[in-house]
Amino acid sequence: MKAGSLGRYIAQRLLLAIPMVFILLTLLFLLLNAAPGDPVTATLGGRLPPEEIAQRKEALGLNDPLYVQYFNYMGNALTGDFGNPVTDPRSVVQIVLDTAPATIELALAAMLVAILLGITVGALSGRLRDTPFDVGGRLFGILIYAAPVFWTGLLAQLYFSVELGWLPSQQRAGGFDAPEPITGFYVFDSIITGDMAALGTVLSHLVLPAVTLGLLLGGVFIRLVRVNMLQTLRSDYVEAARARGLREHVVLFRHAFKTALIPIITIMGLQFAMLIGNAVLTEHTFTWPGLAQALVGFIGARDYAAVQGIVTFIALVIVGVSLLIDIFTGLVDPRVRY
Amino acid sequence: MTSTSTGGDNAVLEARTPLKTRLHHVWRPFRESSRISRGLIFSGLGLIAAFLLLAFLGPLVYPYDGTQYRAETSPGEFTAFPELAPPSAEHWFGTTKDQFDVLARIIDGATLAFAVMALAVSIAMIIGVTLGLFSGYRGGRLDRIMVTAMDAVYAFPPLVLAIIVSFVLAAYLSPGVPSAAAAVGLVYIPQYFRVVRNHTLSVKEEPFVEAAKSFGARNRTVLGRYVFFNVVQTVPVILTLNAADAILVLASLGFLGYGVQPPTPEWGYDISQAVNDVAAGIWWTALWPGLAIVLLVMALTLVGEGLNDVINPLLRARGKAGRKIKAMPAARRRGRSRRTSDAAEQDDEGLAAKVRDLRVGYRTASGPLWAVDGVSFEIKKGETVALVGESGCGKSSMGRAMLRLMPPGGVVHGQVEIGGTDVVTAPDSEVRKLRGEGVSLMFQEPMTRLNPLERVSDHFVEMIRTHKPKTSREDARAMARDALVQVGIPPTRIDNYPHEFSGGMRQRVMLALSIVLTPRLIVADEPTTALDVIVESQILSLLERLRVEENVGILFITHNLGVVAEACDRVAVMYAGKIVEMGPVDEIFTNPKHPYTRGLVASTISLNTTELRSIGGYPPNLIDPPRGCRFAARCPHVMDHCTQSPPELTEVGPDQRAACFLYPGAGQPVPEGVVAPSGDPQVSGI
Ligand SMILES: Nc1ncnc2c1ncn2[C@@H]1O[C@H](COP(=O)(O)OP(=O)(O)OP(=O)(O)O)[C@@H](O)[C@H]1O
Ligand code: SF4
Ligand SMILES: [Mg+2]
Repeated sequence: MKAGSLGRYIAQRLLLAIPMVFILLTLLFLLLNAAPGDPVTATLGGRLPPEEIAQRKEALGLNDPLYVQYFNYMGNALTGDFGNPVTDPRSVVQIVLDTAPATIELALAAMLVAILLGITVGALSGRLRDTPFDVGGRLFGILIYAAPVFWTGLLAQLYFSVELGWLPSQQRAGGFDAPEPITGFYVFDSIITGDMAALGTVLSHLVLPAVTLGLLLGGVFIRLVRVNMLQTLRSDYVEAARARGLREHVVLFRHAFKTALIPIITIMGLQFAMLIGNAVLTEHTFTWPGLAQALVGFIGARDYAAVQGIVTFIALVIVGVSLLIDIFTGLVDPRVRY
Repeated sequence: MTSTSTGGDNAVLEARTPLKTRLHHVWRPFRESSRISRGLIFSGLGLIAAFLLLAFLGPLVYPYDGTQYRAETSPGEFTAFPELAPPSAEHWFGTTKDQFDVLARIIDGATLAFAVMALAVSIAMIIGVTLGLFSGYRGGRLDRIMVTAMDAVYAFPPLVLAIIVSFVLAAYLSPGVPSAAAAVGLVYIPQYFRVVRNHTLSVKEEPFVEAAKSFGARNRTVLGRYVFFNVVQTVPVILTLNAADAILVLASLGFLGYGVQPPTPEWGYDISQAVNDVAAGIWWTALWPGLAIVLLVMALTLVGEGLNDVINPLLRARGKAGRKIKAMPAARRRGRSRRTSDAAEQDDEGLAAKVRDLRVGYRTASGPLWAVDGVSFEIKKGETVALVGESGCGKSSMGRAMLRLMPPGGVVHGQVEIGGTDVVTAPDSEVRKLRGEGVSLMFQEPMTRLNPLERVSDHFVEMIRTHKPKTSREDARAMARDALVQVGIPPTRIDNYPHEFSGGMRQRVMLALSIVLTPRLIVADEPTTALDVIVESQILSLLERLRVEENVGILFITHNLGVVAEACDRVAVMYAGKIVEMGPVDEIFTNPKHPYTRGLVASTISLNTTELRSIGGYPPNLIDPPRGCRFAARCPHVMDHCTQSPPELTEVGPDQRAACFLYPGAGQPVPEGVVAPSGDPQVSGI
């Protein structure tokens, strides 16, 4: 019966995700088609003879009426075809496959930094409310949030790379330094090939961008964890747990912290959007060859087709992540899955 | 309007209260907030004011423009600014590679930032509020679609969305303040939409709106005002936080090259121009614009966070840290628990708990108060003592103090002895062991006392194995099943989650948790208020059985004198933090001595109500209690010296004591001519 209710809950979430995908993609299509002109002219106008442009437009179905384009777009997107850029011979899917591992590696490393920082400082701040530690932690969280990630990145480069010369300031490990590419996740690749020298280089390139991005997200987590810790620490069942004589660490971790994590995870799902936005900036600052950097490049080249494809992919990932978060919450919290 | 529409009534009341009162309500949490929250808000406001000065006075005062690369040294003579000059007397913050003055660009950047911020937030708010009102009012399918669309926009990375919008807008508008503001502002629409739409929807479903319609009514005005007053509390927080975010998004757009038209001074764009300087070790071109962003965003966030602290009651601080309750003598606070002497222990053998001069204090926003102020009594083993009194007289405070379970800002003084341990002074570890095993507390509100993420069995196993580490999991579960059966819950439900039980069942689960380790003392704080009569009597007879069979002492806190008569041996009557009368249940009911007790008993008997309200007036303010008898203001027998000094508990009958100057021994001789009232229990002065 328990498994059944969980299964029903997941099915329900999946059903709810469908209109979300539908509306999100429609909005994106409308937004991107609100720009006058067509992608081919916008990108290559003046650089190619008009006949060739007309030919390309025909090939891409851009002469079809808008509603036909819309149905094609939706159909393709839902079957995993995100189209082809005008300025790049690869398909969008291929571009995603080439560049996403770098972004994911950066994001995961940053998350690690953020979670360690956010949870320790946030939980302690909540526990030690209104002490100097708490005030310091909050101010740090606000300060970190207020600093644009590209600026902190620049300062970090200025100090650690230019001034001290400890760490490389730009790029991912590349050329001879890079491990044999197997999955595209360099840390993982260098570990499975046992290439410790490559691992060192890979990590040294990863440190600055990951810490820069991680600090920023960590600032948000500090605030989040602190507030939720405060709320659960005041909750009736935490007091009741104390009244039963449970040990303080059991009260804190099993009763207060665990429940505080649920809203934190939910909000972390929303922060995923923020992670992507800041990944764009971080990749740009550190010329990190990830998906976000590719997107910025295509926007610069006014390549609508590529932008549409990549943004559609990002939209689907976002819905997927929020679905995963919902399912995870369902697993942890019995109240939501009746 | 019927009684079912209380929410609506409140809403109407709220909507119709004069603006001044409403503003007072908005203001009050601010006054009651902690110094830290107010510190946050004021330092943030100060910084914002400084930036406003910079943005609007700076251009008038500072000699250079952000896009100026030369100065007129003498009429018609121009001298170009140096390239990448470090800060100097001439150029305070240095110059850029384009020979611009950095400080001038910071100043113009501030003006631009405020313009974009104000425009962006206004766009978002106007569109969001309008759509929210519309969607919530219309309801139906349109509402559902709009909600999903807004959720979709909200979930999308704001920066990426802003980039795309400015990318598309660039085809129609030349880059400038309006296009930047539109790109930045669109992102925030869903937040306003959501708040307004939810309030509109909730109020629309209230019966009073329906009722108002039938009066041909101004329900739209009522609706509008209701939504306005609710939204007015959350919107300022969203607004300031959005403003902070808008600065960041604007700078990010500028950094990526999608902001305003270069070389318009804009902090993010300026930083992007400084990227190569950084590699050459030049710091001033990147540092200053970044600092400007950090400080302004921080200022806005400080205000937003501070407001949130003030408005969100859950986070509201626990009062002014400055005013402290008189400290406990240091010697008492530290030392180990005072073990009772052997002789005394002999004496206390038959006691479940002994309370001496117990005082419980809280720090509140309006000042410190003693909720329990010098209370002494005993509970024998196998005895049920009732604690009765008006709401707010300190009953729950006393119950918690028996376990030293104080909320932050609460203190306990005096002595509470349970099983040879003084709860007040014992070290934490000892008190912790006592809780649940030596003394257990059933809370007043049962619904929220169980951890929603844990099965009922987990609650039991965890508790039993904390106190009796040698118990196996299976044995602990068996004990739990026994306890559940005793309170009338099928043992098969042991692995259910709390939300799968009704309120009454949860209360019984709590009771089972309190008895499973057979404590010496059970403090039951209004354990039957939420229950129907049948369950109530089951619980009462269960407590009765524990008392008789297990010799447990029970402190039974209640409003219900009927239950007292049925289930208790002795009664303690509390008034404004003090026990005013204590005695055997029969004496208290048939022969009450204290005028307050008389009032209580009279109200039960003559009005047949469980409310303790037949006495006119209200209890005194505990922050500044009266010097003499605390009941004096409401007492029909009040005498001159009643207001001079407090009466003490004195013997008024067999095992019966009262604190009233009508009886000799209360601390002041009864003046001649005044006779203790007799017989008639009716208290006048309703
Ligand atoms: N955590 C707290 N912080 C500040 N003041 C408090 C706190 N808890 C209680 N008080 C105050 O102490 C006084 C006694 O409260 P208490 O809850 O003990 O009353 P009570 O007799 O149990 O009332 P009721 O019958 O309504 O449950 C009240 O004036 C209340 O405002
Ligand atoms: S002491 Fe005085 S005021 Fe207080 S109850 Fe007795 S008669 Fe009334
Ligand atoms: Mg109470």
